[in-house]
Amino acid sequence: MIKFDQVTKRYPSSNEALKNASFTIEAGELVFVTGHSGAGKSTLLKLIAATEKPTSGTVLIANQNISKLKPSAIPFMRRKFGLIFQDHKLLYDRNCFENVILPLHINGITGNEAAKRVRAALDKVGLLQKEKAMPITLSGGEQQRLAIARAVVSRPSILIADEPTGNLDASYAADIMAIFHAFHQVGVTVIVATHDALGMSAVQNRVLHLNQGQLTHTQSGLDGVHHE
Amino acid sequence: MNNWLNQHIQTIKLVLGRMQNNALSTFMISLVIAVALCVPGLFYLGVDHLSKFTNHMQDETEISLFLKLDADKDAVTEIGEVLAKNDSIKNFHLVTKENAWQALKSKAEADNETDSKIADLEKNPLPDAFFIQAKSTEPETLEALKKELQSIPGVEHVLLNTDWAKRLSALLALGKKIILFVTALLAVALLVIIGNTIRMQILTQKDEVIVSKLIGATNSFIRIPFLYAGILYGLFGGLLAIIMLVLAVKVFNLSVQQLSSLYSSDFSLPLFNGQLFVGIIGFAIFIGWLGSYLAVSRSIASIKIN
Repeated sequence: MIKFDQVTKRYPSSNEALKNASFTIEAGELVFVTGHSGAGKSTLLKLIAATEKPTSGTVLIANQNISKLKPSAIPFMRRKFGLIFQDHKLLYDRNCFENVILPLHINGITGNEAAKRVRAALDKVGLLQKEKAMPITLSGGEQQRLAIARAVVSRPSILIADEPTGNLDASYAADIMAIFHAFHQVGVTVIVATHDALGMSAVQNRVLHLNQGQLTHTQSGLDGVHHE
Repeated sequence: MNNWLNQHIQTIKLVLGRMQNNALSTFMISLVIAVALCVPGLFYLGVDHLSKFTNHMQDETEISLFLKLDADKDAVTEIGEVLAKNDSIKNFHLVTKENAWQALKSKAEADNETDSKIADLEKNPLPDAFFIQAKSTEPETLEALKKELQSIPGVEHVLLNTDWAKRLSALLALGKKIILFVTALLAVALLVIIGNTIRMQILTQKDEVIVSKLIGATNSFIRIPFLYAGILYGLFGGLLAIIMLVLAVKVFNLSVQQLSSLYSSDFSLPLFNGQLFVGIIGFAIFIGWLGSYLAVSRSIASIKIN
């Protein structure tokens, strides 16, 4: 599903954010990307989501080389993903319902079908009662759950979350993690970047650990089996 | 198709909602468009109506043929025969000096003022005259006919009563060109103003553009609401321009009617000119669309998502 082959990303006037990374993520996996801030976690996710292109090496998403994608094809590639950000990136000039429906409109889905799907997504994250509320009136945890609803409403096969619990206290963070696990259970590929070692201790899943741009572990959390 | 329509209706609703939230600035930009279109519109209305009026005058081309004062009955009949043979003359009628004299006297009696002066005249000062309707209304043909008639012996003077109408219509043609030029200049100014307004909007909606790009919106999808904003500005501006135009014509007509009654004419500007109104709205919408189209493509491309 996702294959990195000797991928290096260098930003202008800075060190290599990612050095020679090679790994594969299969469909339906739940993968954590860990490391200190600045270790290259965000860069790795941006490469997967095709918002950045590698300086060298190849990134294959569903057998498509993202370096070779035409600019006009990139939006369609991005629709395969549900993206969740640390700062939520919600639109504060519209209510919850309208925030969640945006990806459906982009996909050309409107009317009753869209409304049904939006309510289903809001229900999954426990915000069905708040569809008319403006995002600014929600707590941090609720905002993040709203962002998740928006990410999953178009039923993407891959969920990518960059520090989704970074700004949240422990109980909210556990809520969010539980939601990701639930999506993993139904077969969605979930990739979560986190620097939060505490949150990690509870999970028994595959970990990609980054240290200053270098991929140091690519093994499963419990049994230690190397996937690459 | 239904889906597509639905999406566009949703987008228009969204844009209208935003305009409602910024009602004052929406009104301002519409007002700018309206004023810029109202000025040439008003001149056009005047020039267009005047030129229809003069065209009408030109259709009724009459050539007046005045004979020499000493022309006798035989000469008059002779000239009448010459006119009857001329192919380019539709019809003509003779007003003898006696008839004209009678007509003048009876008009003078009705009009008390000049009565005394007319009565003072001892002998008839008027010549015999033929009034001729030509077949053609072409200025060149009429000019040629006038020359031909002038050369008939016994003819004192030939008067083509369309000369002033011709001059006026040439002047009006020039006026139309000036209006076109002014409209083009104002259109460029409007493109810049609308483009800037849309650019500002894109900046205030930057988050939305970024989020839309991140979740897979194509540039043309992101562009749609801004294009609609431009189109709606044009529509509102055009409607406002028409309202202003109608009000301006009403006020103008008060003075125009006063003036034209002094010239014993019932000339006034028409309140309603469907063609012009449709033209103004269509033009305004086009300018709104073009202004936002020019601004939006580059602005959206320049917003980077990283």
